[in-house]
Amino acid sequence: MKNSAIPIASPGRRAASYWFVDGLPDILLGMTLLIFGGVGLWWGIHLSKSATQPDFFLIAAGVLLLYWKERGILDFLKSRLTYPRSGYVRPPEDLSEIGLPNTLTALSLKPWPPSDENVTHFRTRTVLVVFWWCLLLCRDSRWNRWFTLLATPALAVALYAWNRNSEHPYRWWSTLILALTGPTLLLTEAPLPVQPLLMPLLAGVWLVAQGACTLVGYLRANPYPRTQEGVSA
Amino acid sequence: MTPRMQQISQLDRVIHEPARLAIMLILGGAGDADFLYLQREGGFTQGNLSGHLAKLEEAGYVEIEKKFKGKVPLTVCSLTGKGRTAFAEYSNRMLGLLQSNGACGSPRP
Repeated sequence: MKNSAIPIASPGRRAASYWFVDGLPDILLGMTLLIFGGVGLWWGIHLSKSATQPDFFLIAAGVLLLYWKERGILDFLKSRLTYPRSGYVRPPEDLSEIGLPNTLTALSLKPWPPSDENVTHFRTRTVLVVFWWCLLLCRDSRWNRWFTLLATPALAVALYAWNRNSEHPYRWWSTLILALTGPTLLLTEAPLPVQPLLMPLLAGVWLVAQGACTLVGYLRANPYPRTQEGVSA
Repeated sequence: MTPRMQQISQLDRVIHEPARLAIMLILGGAGDADFLYLQREGGFTQGNLSGHLAKLEEAGYVEIEKKFKGKVPLTVCSLTGKGRTAFAEYSNRMLGLLQSNGACGSPRP
């Protein structure tokens, strides 16, 4: 089965990384940022510029909605796209939700029983990282230009470094593209309403592009099976 | 019979078979998995996996449930409580054997 760039030996970690094999989580997060960033942009251009900035609240609403409905939406999409092609495995738990690791014993040559490894760090290491960076940029438009210069490479480095050994690593050249887009866009004069939303829109485009590439690779590697599987047990 | 040989003879033969051990490992790490995932992850043929699952189900180690995700039928397998206990016992026994043989350190030349 085609999986993430780094081979993972543990069955639990492989099951966790399987959740990202079709690129749908990245696409969903990217689309959320693009939709809510786009609405914020439309708001900034067409509606009156009030003292309170709607941009941040819209992005925050998008991320909250993602936290609330992500599993349901992804399960719906995966049941039509992924499970018929390469099978179903229990979606990984979020580490923060399960608290202390349980004491499931598996075959291991370690002196202690390994914990259940089917957990994901996606929400804390990707969703929240992007959210906090966006929050930084949406707060004060005076600093947006220079923040974008510094924050885009910093965001790219953070995403790469924190996810490097996780179930969902990002390729170095992919994060390099994200790192370079901030300084490149700084050279072009972005209109004032666009500036506060540059980071969420950039991150959204990057995530959707990344997820789309993964999805295309997955669909090519896993054609729809001609016959339905069945077990005689 | 030496105690070590006695321990070896007490290993659970249902789990000890490599294909069934692979199934137990995958289900132990993942939780639930359907037939297709197990087949691809373990490199089994349909008939082979079906046969091994039947043996594990017969021993009460695996539960097989037919359900739907959306409109897609899934044959979802999971470890039972008995299966988890048996797997833990097997792991401990095997670890004890390997450790007593000094096989858990660095690989020998």
